Amino acid sequence: MKLRITPLMSLFFCSAAFGQMKDSIAVDEILAEVVVTGTRTERVLSSLPLPMTIITSEAIVKSGLTRLSEILNEQTGIILIPDESGFEGIQMQGLDAAYTMIMIDGVPLVGRTAGVLDLSRVSVGNIERIEIVKGASSALYGSEAMGGVINVITKRPQKDLFSGSLSYRYATFNSNDANANLLWKKKKFAANVFVNYNSSDGYDFDKSTWLKNIEKYHNTTIQPKLYYDFSENLKLIVSNRFYNQKIDNKAVIETKQYQGDATEKEWNSQIKLEHKWNSYWYSEYELYATNYKNNAFLNDENSVLFEESYYNQWLLRPEVRTTFSINENKLTTGIGFNHETLDRTYFDSNVVFNSQYVFVQYDYNPTEKLNILAGFRYDNHSVYASQLSPKLAANYKITADFSLKASVGYGYKAPDFRQLYFDFMNPSVGYTVLGYNVAESRLKELEEQGQIAERTSGINFSEPLKAESAINFNFGTFYKKNKFRLDVNAFYNSISNLIDTQVVALKSNGQNVFSYTNISEIFTYGLEYNSTYNFSKDFTVSLGYQYLIAKDKSVVDDFDSYKFVRPPGSGTIAISKSDYFGLFNRSKHTANVKFLYRIPRMKTDINLRVFYRSKYGMFDTNGNQVMDKYDQFVKGYFLTNLSISKQIKDKFMLQAGANNVFDFTNPDQINNLAGRQIFARIQYNF
Amino acid sequence: MKTNFLKLTLLALVVFTASCSNDDDNADNETIPAVQTVKATNISARDGFTKFSFSENKVVTTDKWDIAFSGTTIIVNGGGKFNPENAEEPERTGQGAISIVSNAFTAVTTFPEATTFKQDAATAYAIPTGSGNGWYSYNMNSHLITPIAGKVFVVKTHDGKYAKFEIVSYYKDAPATPDPLNSEATKYYTFNYAYQANSTTTF
Repeated sequence: MKLRITPLMSLFFCSAAFGQMKDSIAVDEILAEVVVTGTRTERVLSSLPLPMTIITSEAIVKSGLTRLSEILNEQTGIILIPDESGFEGIQMQGLDAAYTMIMIDGVPLVGRTAGVLDLSRVSVGNIERIEIVKGASSALYGSEAMGGVINVITKRPQKDLFSGSLSYRYATFNSNDANANLLWKKKKFAANVFVNYNSSDGYDFDKSTWLKNIEKYHNTTIQPKLYYDFSENLKLIVSNRFYNQKIDNKAVIETKQYQGDATEKEWNSQIKLEHKWNSYWYSEYELYATNYKNNAFLNDENSVLFEESYYNQWLLRPEVRTTFSINENKLTTGIGFNHETLDRTYFDSNVVFNSQYVFVQYDYNPTEKLNILAGFRYDNHSVYASQLSPKLAANYKITADFSLKASVGYGYKAPDFRQLYFDFMNPSVGYTVLGYNVAESRLKELEEQGQIAERTSGINFSEPLKAESAINFNFGTFYKKNKFRLDVNAFYNSISNLIDTQVVALKSNGQNVFSYTNISEIFTYGLEYNSTYNFSKDFTVSLGYQYLIAKDKSVVDDFDSYKFVRPPGSGTIAISKSDYFGLFNRSKHTANVKFLYRIPRMKTDINLRVFYRSKYGMFDTNGNQVMDKYDQFVKGYFLTNLSISKQIKDKFMLQAGANNVFDFTNPDQINNLAGRQIFARIQYNF
Repeated sequence: MKTNFLKLTLLALVVFTASCSNDDDNADNETIPAVQTVKATNISARDGFTKFSFSENKVVTTDKWDIAFSGTTIIVNGGGKFNPENAEEPERTGQGAISIVSNAFTAVTTFPEATTFKQDAATAYAIPTGSGNGWYSYNMNSHLITPIAGKVFVVKTHDGKYAKFEIVSYYKDAPATPDPLNSEATKYYTFNYAYQANSTTTF
């Protein structure tokens, strides 16, 4: 108990101390920031009734980071971690990466591996800001937005100009990152072209093995955007993004070495018309298409093709949104259509999802102090059951600098293609994984071929697999005084019908056949704290902290089934319910401290960030299938990132720094933590 | 001869009476010797069914087996074959049955109620198969088969005695961190057991 309170208390004490001081500059700028992701209309951040974070382009530049994954990992309550299968994704409010929608300019990225989107695909070189909405956002965005939404907003030329920047960064592991960004606007025409080249030799903890932790790769992003203003009231945007990556593909199967390539190709295209009818009516017509392709092959020692795999996903989405505004109140409606296809190895055939949806949102200000956001979305889907996702949120301004906000929402995540249609046999181990919708027929085939020793009794596939669904509550406060700014949010998520694998048959080779099922209910709750204090206009310190509890409801309800453990080297003992630690891969405490110090006469910014993650467990080690306090944990750890930027005249910026300054690694337990990476960057602005 | 016979008869009678009275006198405070917990190591389940006898404390090939191992499947010598067409699966010739108890191994001291004992049958094994159902759980990411702690199997042996056992490891030499991908070292059972040779209801 003492441990839980202490860090929190100290943070509050800090805030109380900070509250005494005066004057503020940067804080007000952030408050007036206009955001779009929470409501799909322009809103001032401070009055939004939802928990939301903004990462500005300035913060991105000063951090010296290059990929979206790295930037998100530095935010309070967001942590970039490998899951049990080793895929790296973000965890937000204790929810897995599969439950957060990732968007660029308001449209989602596709191409997930085991539910996880590789966020290192996105370069941050042309980002205006990143908006993060935490909590169920299905009322606007549908499936996948069950845990929240991250929206990357790219730069857009606002006035007549010709400007741009060139930058080059070199870092440890022979990592290169080169950017060219061009912004141009002349009267009705405007354009933004962004090009990024990124490469690395990867890294390796164990030099004695042939495989590396990250193999050598290089990738290119080209992002041309064109704008044409027919008039003040009718504007066209055509935006494209091309991403291409090649990474060495290696495998060792039964001591034999196999080598090849894996390529990823992604294309996003968005055509949008912004139409202001009059002072009341505003519409956006949007057509979005995206394609994500992944091809990989392995050759054996004699360069003979051994294995090939492919993955080809399409999403086509027309959407129309209309906002009707009277005074400060806005009624927003949207209607759209999703056409999604996936063709991949381990699928019997090309599979198609179609869905139609409509959403309505009312942004209502009954008094000057009160803002209410109410809405719902209805999704009608060709494969799984239709979903109605309501949401209600309110913000009450007690004073201009002190407000309370609360929200409740429903979120869902539909079963994905893999959970429904997978048909995979692991060549080295020999187990089989079958998607829910193909499991029955494939099991019959395998039985006829004599490959099944026994089907698990009591399992059938007659009822369709249900969507995972969540109820999410947030209750927060926002407070500002002089140089001090504070944001606190308590959250609770209850997730039902969680989809997990279960054994459905035993094969004659002794291995299992797995399929998916709605297996359990989990809940997460906690508290997120963010504060910023400007000691002077040149020195800012911010603190972030998240307390998190994440547990499986069935374990809490029936702990007797999990109470026996067998610690290594001893007999079986019974433990008590309070020893249950919670879900795998969740830390109770995550925290960060960020120092931003400017030396004006040297035009130098020093940006130091320290991150902490408390202990967590990756798997059960004492035979009760869940994480308890007698299990082996991954120890808590600190990471420190430093960057120093210096302006030379107005045109040049030199930057140097290091990520993971103190070279913390834990190769046995944490495979995504490379050691210290020193970098240097030069940027030329024109 | 006659006297000898008489003497012998008397002697036998005395001995019998003495032993009887001895029994009667000590019935309340007699302690059946505590059962010994034995560790069986590296019982291979790699080739067909390996039959084990608790009373003989070893792997046997006769019909006087109590439990048998094949991969992750454990069978008991009582009831019927699960798969009658499987020639490898031994016929059940004994009166064996199994009751599954959730407790620490040493804390299981009394026999469970007779109604909780199950025999193998064509519909299900006495110890259910599959991850999380019987004695083990399987981690799909690490491919590790881990015995579930606190699963104690009380066995009625082929000849109606009782034994209890718990699985400790499925890997050769029961290492602390087994390598599930080393197929040479899997399907080796290590288990603790205690055999009650006496006619009683406790271990």
